Amino acid sequence: NSDKKPEASEEQITVFHDKDNFNVKHPLMHKWTLWFTKPPSGKGDNWNDLLKEVITFNSVEEFWGVYNNIAPTSELALKSDYHLFKEGVRPEWEDVQNKHGGKWSYQFKNKHAVPIDELWLQVMLAAIGETLEEEGDGELMGVVVNVRKGFYRVGVWTRTIGKSIPGGGDGDVAGGKGRSIEKGKDILMNIGKKFKDVLKLPEGEVVEFSGHTDSAHSGSTRAKAKYTV
Amino acid sequence: APLNTKPVEAPQPSAALQSLKSARFLTAINPALYPSSINSPNPALNSAVAAKGKSFKYDSAFLMQFQKVFTEKPSMEFESQIKALIGDGDAGSARSAS
Repeated sequence: NSDKKPEASEEQITVFHDKDNFNVKHPLMHKWTLWFTKPPSGKGDNWNDLLKEVITFNSVEEFWGVYNNIAPTSELALKSDYHLFKEGVRPEWEDVQNKHGGKWSYQFKNKHAVPIDELWLQVMLAAIGETLEEEGDGELMGVVVNVRKGFYRVGVWTRTIGKSIPGGGDGDVAGGKGRSIEKGKDILMNIGKKFKDVLKLPEGEVVEFSGHTDSAHSGSTRAKAKYTV
Repeated sequence: APLNTKPVEAPQPSAALQSLKSARFLTAINPALYPSSINSPNPALNSAVAAKGKSFKYDSAFLMQFQKVFTEKPSMEFESQIKALIGDGDAGSARSAS
């Protein structure tokens, strides 16, 4: 109906104007899936059965609906993990989209001194707000927090270890042959620096990058770091 | 009083949850949209691709403003799903093994 005033019918009401009756929401640039690793029961669980998909969301509002209604990291049992990954990517290095990649990670060894809930929240916000990498980098796969006996470990997973990967194409994209080794490394280093900033770590602390297959082959997640910031 | 054992009526989604489900996605970041008490997203984050209107990068300070504003569970079933998946968050299940 051409007589209708579009201004009147299309007034945009955000959650800040009216938290119960809003009509627009804030899109995220990707859909994100929250995963949870249950602690093993000690009865020979298959790790795949312990990794649980919680929910997939694509708006800022829904992220907060999720976050405000799940246990904070500090209340999780030992051997639990939260993983926040782009939709369609399983948070395991065996996933076809992860197996040529790696991760930046940092362990907080003094569990009682570290504000892990605040830090993990900031890591998630940097991921969904798309501020851990630059436009076109294409490296970010997800973020993770591990709750262990002696530490909390926070990580950022990347698609590559800074070089081309099988099936990565010829373009200047993550894993593509058109992206130079130098640029690939610069992008990873930039992500590492941003991650370190989000964690509010002092200059002297070291955040380490390692390739997933290096970790897997050494039988340990403490493989030799490939890069550090 | 005797316990009422009759099944309760199915709960209705809250107004906030209904709004979440029916709201349209913003098609561009518009700093003029927000109440004066709210800081709009840092424009520098999206300036490089603003012409395309497809960039939705949000700084942490902007995102934190939602924390106390959208607190509703994202679905009617969320609470029971979370209990089944994660437990109710009490530390009783914490193990000492590493």
